[in-house]
Amino acid sequence: MTGTPMLEVRDLVIRYRSGLFAPRAKPAVNGASFQLMPGETLGIVGESGSGKTSLLRAILRLLPVESGSIEMSGQDWLAIKGRSLRQARQAIGVVSQNPFLSLSPRLSVREILAEPLQAAGQSAGAALNARIETLLGDCGLPANFRDRRARELSGGQAQRVAIARALALEPQLLVLDEPTSALDVSVQAQILNLLADLKQQRGLSMLFVTHNLKVVAHIADRLMVMRRGDVVELGATERIVAAPAQDYTRQLLSFGLNAKTHWAKGQGVQAR
Amino acid sequence: MPLLEIRGLSITIPTPKGDVRAVRAVDLSVERGEIHGVIGESGSGKTITGTAMLGLLPQGTKVEAERFHFDGEDLRQSADRLRGNRIGLISQDPAAALNPVLRIWRQMDDVLRLHRKAPRAERWAEAVALLASIGLNDPEKVLRSYPHELSGGMLQRVVIAQALATGADFLIADEPTTALDVAVAMQVLELLRQLVATRGLTVLLITHDMDVIAEVCDRVTVLYHGRSLENGPAEQVLQRPEHPYTRALLAALPDAAPRGERLATVEGLFIDPETGALLQGDQP
Repeated sequence: MTGTPMLEVRDLVIRYRSGLFAPRAKPAVNGASFQLMPGETLGIVGESGSGKTSLLRAILRLLPVESGSIEMSGQDWLAIKGRSLRQARQAIGVVSQNPFLSLSPRLSVREILAEPLQAAGQSAGAALNARIETLLGDCGLPANFRDRRARELSGGQAQRVAIARALALEPQLLVLDEPTSALDVSVQAQILNLLADLKQQRGLSMLFVTHNLKVVAHIADRLMVMRRGDVVELGATERIVAAPAQDYTRQLLSFGLNAKTHWAKGQGVQAR
Repeated sequence: MPLLEIRGLSITIPTPKGDVRAVRAVDLSVERGEIHGVIGESGSGKTITGTAMLGLLPQGTKVEAERFHFDGEDLRQSADRLRGNRIGLISQDPAAALNPVLRIWRQMDDVLRLHRKAPRAERWAEAVALLASIGLNDPEKVLRSYPHELSGGMLQRVVIAQALATGADFLIADEPTTALDVAVAMQVLELLRQLVATRGLTVLLITHDMDVIAEVCDRVTVLYHGRSLENGPAEQVLQRPEHPYTRALLAALPDAAPRGERLATVEGLFIDPETGALLQGDQP
């Protein structure tokens, strides 16, 4: 891929303030650099305390940055302030881990999806309703779901509504923070398929943050592995999965069912 | 004779909107000294089945079964006595299982005082030995800590130590690693395996995670809509599943299909929850 990156992060350092007289804390993100090209999906993998969520929050401008730069489509993203920041943020859609926390229990699905559209200046009416039906359809939900409330949805359906809402303003970048961690395996497969479809149809760029390397390895073009604030691995998904450079990455990949190659070979369960 | 023997278990919970049959027909047989996995998705009845063994279901719940026995005793009568003596519980979130305002020692000692009529110094020594045996470095420091000062993996070890302090020989571990990072989860699973080998423990491991089953379980039972569909050695069930639902579930794992290809999805009902009759897929 060539051209201007969708997102370019250079030497980003994020540090939380400790007490006034306390020694300077270790940075939560210690010099992260990466590019995200248009239409590309980058998976960011790390355990608790790895800095993956801090990095995401900085990109959403919810957290101040100590040093380094972030560019969105070639523009200095950290220089945008106030009203124009609110405007510019519409280019990013966000999906969080638990749809039942991110969807208001008081609103109907129609109201949830109308909110961002009306905030961006669309007036209520037939056009708005048609837009909502299209969004629901794109995310695999029938139009009659518009009258339901969050509690009348299953986990997978609710996450589809959250994705539809994130797509309402036609963002170029979708930021997904553990979007399948709260879902059953069967529902997780449906959501991963939906994201793959949306990526293909809309040419979306995605940042997919998770602690589960296997989930993100299925969908990401490139992977970034973080540990204790450092980027320990960055590269094409195939390369990292085939030949992880770090013991840590190898450990994440060696866990579980499909790593049990000796089973497939019919050698029986590992001696215990 | 299996240590735990459940045949034809059905659990009906009364609610203001009428009775809910959370478990319809579960068979589960756990041998001494094995780690037996119970796998199922939300609503499969896996946690309710575990809660019934502990005798902790809400009042008025109807528990019916042909056999619901632990070591020859009917759990419907003896669960309250066995819980906290022979049957221990490891829950998903260790931080929620411990009291945040009490030091670990107080919480360990609550258990030790109840089970041993020994002087304080001896109980302290036993707590230290117990924490050391489950791989906590500097157990004395851990005992003097509050839960918030310890990591998730350390807290889960403390909860396991508490269960062992009761003298339990059967642990019900309900999603014990779901709240933990992969690297820490692997250590906790390894610890369970060690305890089974060294202390002759038996573990019932309830989870939705096939990877966890593959890592530690000797045998596994698959639950779906309150029914047990199949059981057998973990290797056999995960490699050559017989039931169409188990096959569909395994095909939906994110690493079951190459990158970029669509994952198989699990759509529709596989069995009629009322009768257990197969609704789709080949005959098992």
